[in-house]
Amino acid sequence: MSEPILQVAGLTGGYSPRRPVLHDVTFEVRAGEMVGLIGLNGAGKSTTIKHVLGLMKPHQGQVKVDGVTLEDNAERYRSAFAYVPETPVLFDELTVEEHLRLTGMAYNVAEKEFGERQEQLLDEFQMAAKRKAFASHLSKGMKQKVMIMNALLSEPPLYMIDEPFLGLDPLGIRSLLERLVEVKKRGSAILMSSHILSTVEAYCDRFIILHQGRVAAYGTLEEVCQAAGIEARGGALEDAFYKLVTEGSQ
Amino acid sequence: MSGADRSLEFLWLKRSSEFRKEVTPYFGYMAQSGFPLFVSFIVLSSAFGYIKLIRDLPSGFPIALVGTVALLLVLGWSPLRSWLMMPDLVFHMPREAEMGSYMRRSFRRSVMMTSLLVIAVLLLYWPIYRQGEGEAGFWTILVFAAIMRATNLWGAWKERRMAWSGVRRLLRLMRWAANALALAVLLTSAVWQSALFLLLLMGLFKLLYRLPDKHSFPWERLIEEESRTRRSYYLFFGLFIDVPTLPSRTASRAYLAWILKYIPNRHRLTYVYLYAASLVRTEIGGIVLRLTVLFALIVYWFAEDGWLSGWGAAGAYIILLQLVAVQLGGLRHAHRYTVWRHVYPLPDAERTSSLLLVDRWSLAAAALLMWLPAVVMLLVQGLIIPALFVLLAAYAQIWFVRPGRLRHKLAEDAEEE
Repeated sequence: MSEPILQVAGLTGGYSPRRPVLHDVTFEVRAGEMVGLIGLNGAGKSTTIKHVLGLMKPHQGQVKVDGVTLEDNAERYRSAFAYVPETPVLFDELTVEEHLRLTGMAYNVAEKEFGERQEQLLDEFQMAAKRKAFASHLSKGMKQKVMIMNALLSEPPLYMIDEPFLGLDPLGIRSLLERLVEVKKRGSAILMSSHILSTVEAYCDRFIILHQGRVAAYGTLEEVCQAAGIEARGGALEDAFYKLVTEGSQ
Repeated sequence: MSGADRSLEFLWLKRSSEFRKEVTPYFGYMAQSGFPLFVSFIVLSSAFGYIKLIRDLPSGFPIALVGTVALLLVLGWSPLRSWLMMPDLVFHMPREAEMGSYMRRSFRRSVMMTSLLVIAVLLLYWPIYRQGEGEAGFWTILVFAAIMRATNLWGAWKERRMAWSGVRRLLRLMRWAANALALAVLLTSAVWQSALFLLLLMGLFKLLYRLPDKHSFPWERLIEEESRTRRSYYLFFGLFIDVPTLPSRTASRAYLAWILKYIPNRHRLTYVYLYAASLVRTEIGGIVLRLTVLFALIVYWFAEDGWLSGWGAAGAYIILLQLVAVQLGGLRHAHRYTVWRHVYPLPDAERTSSLLLVDRWSLAAAALLMWLPAVVMLLVQGLIIPALFVLLAAYAQIWFVRPGRLRHKLAEDAEEE
């Protein structure tokens, strides 16, 4: 079994120590696997991601990326992942190319590789014609593409992708998924949160089902179905999810 | 210094100069408005009062208290411009370890700006302090102030890093209280006592700041602080010219929000409800409220002084009321581009009359609150005519002059679209 890139152990957290949003959340994402983080609105997906980003302090438990906590080694922790937020955040005054250049600098991508990767990404996401466009002039879907291209450019050990499909056109979704499969094969770990369960089921190796801040089920499709008490088959993730979140709240 | 450090410092400089370029034109617009005139009016009248005060300090004047309050405000306030924004979470967070060189620039800027302020206040205060019994010399106070300035910046940074808002607020309150104590001791006691006390406090805070959970770098706090600072710049410029709308902050303001419940549930009052809610919850309402309280105080002082047989207070009131009215006028932009205008089954004309209604009653309430303390003072002194004249003038403005103007502005806005 490959080494874990992201380890979340016994994490209880949230903005206020008096009102924890997450309760004792434990999971890991290993090199070369894609893990789907699913849950209803308000289940704690974004809070989990914020904890991994180090924007929130755990009340209990710890988060390790690439074997270190943020306190141990901020530089190693920070440069080990790329993050695609739910809503695109770009600098209005920079062009598409300049964003890529900035990411290349932040993650120390060598000049030669940078050039190659940039061209490939611009081409693959049909953004070559927009390379000199300012972010403020892009549509929401295009902004999302720029976010994704930046994440892919840095080729980090871990990708954290929050709701990547919102606003993307069908070709964009396809390019993204193809690239994720590719980086996964090359050994990167991916944590992806999404509501599109059919896609999550088709592409992810394991699943974390969060419900009311707790892990309701965690594992492969078989394990999740088993936890829900249903038979594993194609399309079963949606049924298992429905069962887990409706039973869990009763 | 490595190349990476340099590039982050360069980024800081670029952002700082971009901000300057961004706001420069607005200062131009401000200069064209009546604002400089208003400021010179305030500066001249306070300079006049100040000179009168230091020439002839009344016996029993609270010298130490005034100094403590004045210095506390400029020593405790520790702003920090970081120029950070949301995209930095994605594009610069990976370089967190190198952010030190970037933030050093922010600190340097803050030290320079706030120190100038401290020196200015100290120079103004010195002629007053000299007339009291305080033992500390000018240079001693200056050295103390420098130490406290630096310590406060350091403390405020530690507070920004704190993970829990409650603890952060508590420590900030304690820091301000400690500053007040240290200043009071400095202005009333022997120098060695003040030095000892200050050292003691600094040691205590070093320990206190060590306790709570801290972020290594408070990204979210700095981004929030930066956007708040930007918003206040634009709110200020909004007094003089249309400014780009930044996402506004909302506050629940329960002490005002009860009004909403009393707006009857009628179809034709839909926009009244919407505008009233926007006024109560957005920054426009907050500013109108703060200005009203502040201006009520100023007008009260004028009235208490009995300057020009009460006409001084009346004049100041009418000028200040215009400022409140201009601020309130910003409400007309609140739902200018909202999609609900086209979605709701309501005639657009309803929007204008609803806005006028909300504007009229809120301005009337502010006008009344602003005049109330002064009117009591004037009546006590028997100055009835200016007291009544102002009420009539405000009534005429709010009921007859302003609606027409506002309608005109709304029509202009509509043409622009």
